[in-house]
Amino acid sequence: MKSKMIKRHSKVTIFMHWFNAFCWFFLLATGLGLIKNEDLQLMGGWWSNLMYSIFGGGETLLLVHEICGLTWLVVFIVYMIFGSRKYIIPFLKQVSTYSLSADLKWLIKKNIQMTLGNKWLKRLGFTQDIPDQGFYNVGQKLFAVASVLGGIMIAATGLIMFLSNIFLQNTAIVQWAIVIHFIAAGVVTGGLLIHIYMAAISPDERPAFFSMFTGSVPEDYAEHHHKLWYDEIKTAERKGQSA
Amino acid sequence: MPAKPDTAISRRSFLKWTGAATAATAVGARTPVLHALVPSEETTASGKVEHHFSVCDMCLNKCGLIARVEKGVVTKLDPNPKFLKSRGMLCARGNAGIAQLYDPDRLKYPLLRKGKRGEGKWQRLRWDQALDYAAEQLRTIAEQYTRCGVLFSPGSDMQSTFVHWFAEVFGSYNVTTHESACLLSRNRAYLDTFGEVPFSDVLHTKYIIMAGANRFEALITPDSIDLMTAKQNGCKLVVLDPRYTKTAGLADEWYQVRPGTDMAFFLALMHVIISEKLYNADYAAEKLFGLEQLAEHVKQYSPEWAEVECQIPAQDIRRIARELAAAAPTAIVYPGRRTSDYVNSTQIRRSMAILNGLLGNWDRPGGLLAARQVGLSKPELPEAPWYEDNPEDRLDMGRAHMMFEEEGSFKHMRDAIIEAKPYPIKGWLVYKHNPLQSEANRQRTLEMMVKLDFILTVDIAMSDTAWMSDLVLPAPSYLERQDPATGLQGSSACACVVTRNPVVPTLFESKPVFWILKELANRLELGEHFDFTMEDYRKQQLKNLPDGERALREDGVYYNPSKLYGVYEGRVYKTKSKRIELYNERYAEMGVDPMPVYRSPREVPAGRFRLVVGRNAYFTHCTTQNNGLLHEFMPENTLWINPKSASALGIQDGDLVEVISAAGKGELKAEFKSGIREDTVYMASGFGVLSKGLTNIYGKGACIAEVLEDYSDELSGNMAMHETFVQVTRKVA
Amino acid sequence: MKRQLAMVIDSASCIDCKACMTACKVENKVPPGNWRNWIKEQDPDLEHLNNLEPMHFQPGNCMHCDNPTCVQACPTSATYKDNKDGTIKVNKKLCIGCGSCIPACPYGARYRHPEDKVVDKCDFCERRRARGELPACVTTCPTKARTFGDLKDSNSEVARLLKSDNIVRVVNRETDTQPNIYYLSMTAPTDWPVKAETPSAIRLWKAINPFVWGFVGLNVLGVLAMLGKQLLIKEEPLEVEHR
Repeated sequence: MKSKMIKRHSKVTIFMHWFNAFCWFFLLATGLGLIKNEDLQLMGGWWSNLMYSIFGGGETLLLVHEICGLTWLVVFIVYMIFGSRKYIIPFLKQVSTYSLSADLKWLIKKNIQMTLGNKWLKRLGFTQDIPDQGFYNVGQKLFAVASVLGGIMIAATGLIMFLSNIFLQNTAIVQWAIVIHFIAAGVVTGGLLIHIYMAAISPDERPAFFSMFTGSVPEDYAEHHHKLWYDEIKTAERKGQSA
Repeated sequence: MPAKPDTAISRRSFLKWTGAATAATAVGARTPVLHALVPSEETTASGKVEHHFSVCDMCLNKCGLIARVEKGVVTKLDPNPKFLKSRGMLCARGNAGIAQLYDPDRLKYPLLRKGKRGEGKWQRLRWDQALDYAAEQLRTIAEQYTRCGVLFSPGSDMQSTFVHWFAEVFGSYNVTTHESACLLSRNRAYLDTFGEVPFSDVLHTKYIIMAGANRFEALITPDSIDLMTAKQNGCKLVVLDPRYTKTAGLADEWYQVRPGTDMAFFLALMHVIISEKLYNADYAAEKLFGLEQLAEHVKQYSPEWAEVECQIPAQDIRRIARELAAAAPTAIVYPGRRTSDYVNSTQIRRSMAILNGLLGNWDRPGGLLAARQVGLSKPELPEAPWYEDNPEDRLDMGRAHMMFEEEGSFKHMRDAIIEAKPYPIKGWLVYKHNPLQSEANRQRTLEMMVKLDFILTVDIAMSDTAWMSDLVLPAPSYLERQDPATGLQGSSACACVVTRNPVVPTLFESKPVFWILKELANRLELGEHFDFTMEDYRKQQLKNLPDGERALREDGVYYNPSKLYGVYEGRVYKTKSKRIELYNERYAEMGVDPMPVYRSPREVPAGRFRLVVGRNAYFTHCTTQNNGLLHEFMPENTLWINPKSASALGIQDGDLVEVISAAGKGELKAEFKSGIREDTVYMASGFGVLSKGLTNIYGKGACIAEVLEDYSDELSGNMAMHETFVQVTRKVA
Repeated sequence: MKRQLAMVIDSASCIDCKACMTACKVENKVPPGNWRNWIKEQDPDLEHLNNLEPMHFQPGNCMHCDNPTCVQACPTSATYKDNKDGTIKVNKKLCIGCGSCIPACPYGARYRHPEDKVVDKCDFCERRRARGELPACVTTCPTKARTFGDLKDSNSEVARLLKSDNIVRVVNRETDTQPNIYYLSMTAPTDWPVKAETPSAIRLWKAINPFVWGFVGLNVLGVLAMLGKQLLIKEEPLEVEHR
């Protein structure tokens, strides 16, 4: 029997997610292309040279990076102004609630499960019960936190670099901005790779991937992967029905 | 059923969202980050770039230049590579001419004083109002005090010839220039030795002694440049200066001579050269007059004697004399220019001129050169009227033995105006000249101004003299002007003619002095004397130079291939004896020493200092300190003081000190200079200004003119600016 | 390098008249308080008149070095050595004014333009050269102390002068950037260039760079491990059901 669908993501969330994703890819690609220094560049500068030839030079590359970055920032600021109550605050609440022992257990078991398989869970002496997760599982929460904090740092440092030519006098602040920008982007990108695998490549989470288009997940998927959330929904439904 | 989540964005929030987004991108569009999209200067090829010839006016050298004009704005002044006199260069001031043209402090329109002189309150006038007023003032003074009741002071400028002409047709004999604060002593001495004032062939000389002249800082073309080339070609440079200047620093030998004793040194050199017979006897017999008298005269001036006076070791004096004689006739005792130093400055230069005579260097390579033919003609103008009621002579006549009639003496003129003897002067027309900063004893100049009913200054900036005037008229810069032709003597480089045509149109309401004088002449019934255009005038000047106009147009300069060496072949000297006068009979007849007799300069009192004057390569005298580009090199002047002397007075490097003399005082920071004598101090000119219209330097530094006492040379009336003794005390904050 | 533009300066003929500094300032619209070129001076110790060193003036400007520490400090190669003419250029549209290159120059040749807020320095008067003129400082000098040209062109005056004995360059003992301004025989002072310094932020970046990439690399390994597991390992079902 086909499973009933539960609403998981609003249209706004979907938009913001893909907007964010698109900007990230573009910014990452162009950003990496801007790093052109003997000691710092990737693989003798081949990526930078590629970006240069696609965009027709360093200044245009910088320009499109800045335009995209500013657009990204502006949209997020607007999102924060209008969507705080409805979207952002609930989201932040979700990704910042942890229960230490359960989450630690989940992390360790999931890591082994995803890389070595269930057999190894047993072999390594773990019980195979994986703690229940809420709307977001611990991995998603951690990545979300990293993204948000990292994103804020990237946005702030990016803005500083952008303003450097406009009205900043202090160059030390710009130099630190460049470094923090790079480190933050690096850290988030690391997590991003896992996120992309989890979301788009791993068959486990396929329904979640689709939910980023349709907005809904099948009930049984919700029950299995996000039991605590599923329970909440069901409780609310029952309450609603009985009211 | 819960309400559908906001799938339909309400109109209000849509507008909010897009409005915010639009605002954001609008801000973005204005920011410089989008400079990648803006066409660069390089790609806008449509901007017109023009090049125009002119000659620089930032100092007297008039170096040829090419002005680059982009879209009507002068963006760079480059040297004219064909300009031989400057050896194709343009110095810091030449480059800074753009900052004069576009000076925010520039005078823009005629100003009439409101309130008291020096209050800085002005009323803007229309040109016709200003000229009517000026003409009236001049007429009134002429009626009450004769035409000679007006003093004219033209500065060093290519249009000053018209100020001289105006003075002549107006009928005043009273004309002063900056010459009597500068080179009159030298001119007097050389005229009375050689019959003319020579130029030095620095490029080709092998030995050169500079006493006081600071050619690597006080730039004169081509001498300053040629001096370096000559050095590279093996010329030896010996410098006498109480101050370790850049010329002293780059010299082969520098002597920190006791100020005012140069004559002892030169007399001793002659003593050695004559006693050791190191001169060319044949040449002497033929060309020199008075060698016998000179030989007798210098017997008393041995190097041992001189050492005590000038503090240069006797053995060095002896050695230098021998080296100098050995290099002769390709050796020069450099005549210098600013010889306005001691009460016997003319006689000091006589000793140098005589020594040059003895070296036999006249009119030959590496020696002193006669003036070369330039070839300009003097245009014919209607003869000036004769004014019956005029006094006998100029006001300052008779106050110095041998004043130049055409130059006079500002110091004596000033005294006479204050005394109102033998007659009063009540009006003053000043053009491009700033006596309040350039003449010693500023308070005395102010005292003179009190006696005057009407002071008119024509200038480009609000100089101190303009600041204290009654009527100030704005002149354009050289880049906006059309000028007559002028001849330049470039020693061995060339003899040439230069002129100016506007590079850009005149800014604001400024008018060249030629136009101002024409307008005044018309209002004073003297119009017929100014009834010509600049083009007419120039044409007449160039009438004997058929190639002149073309050369000026195509090369920016005209060269007269006139004789350089041997000009005096078959000619006699324009002196009484028709030879080079080591002994001057005219002097003897006048009761003046026919040969320089040494007199020790006044002793510096204990605990005091002699104040000396000097120049540097990035300022012109007292006129460019406010220039937007140049003032960065010296935002304020400092008092050069020897560290030992300073410590004895409890003064530390950088302390604020007060400098006091009998003439006045000033406050400025002390600067330790171990290269200046312990009994001597120095400060640069042009600071401590009265004028608030000089916004970069008002309130900065001290005014040397305020402190200098106005001694003068006995013979020529030249100002003597190294006779001032000052007290220096530390100013407690 | 096709050409290497360079200067040979006879500092013994410099009289410190400041013509070159003023000409450069006008030509290149250098703002007050900043300079693209300079004249260093050796003022002898007049206390010890017996051993008198001469007064000496040493004009200088950006040395367009062959081992440019400034380029090595720039994260984006907004400043770079042009391989057509050997000059060190600043792409002002790519420069964000972080100022990392400024202390990296032993000669202090660079400054941050107070209005444009990007880095500026001598470019051997590129625009003048495009018009067939020499750099402003070269043309204007009264004693013609500066000679300019391509030292790779054996017919040029600079190449000819460089054949003389005793050509010297002024370098810092610890940072030899291989400058392309040469001085004929002696020049003074010679001990004024400072050790090239990279700002601490950029130094941190260079040090931490491998670790950031390492971190990303670890995540890539993680993804590969999971992918590998996904493709190669037939999953066993969990032995414990979610409660």
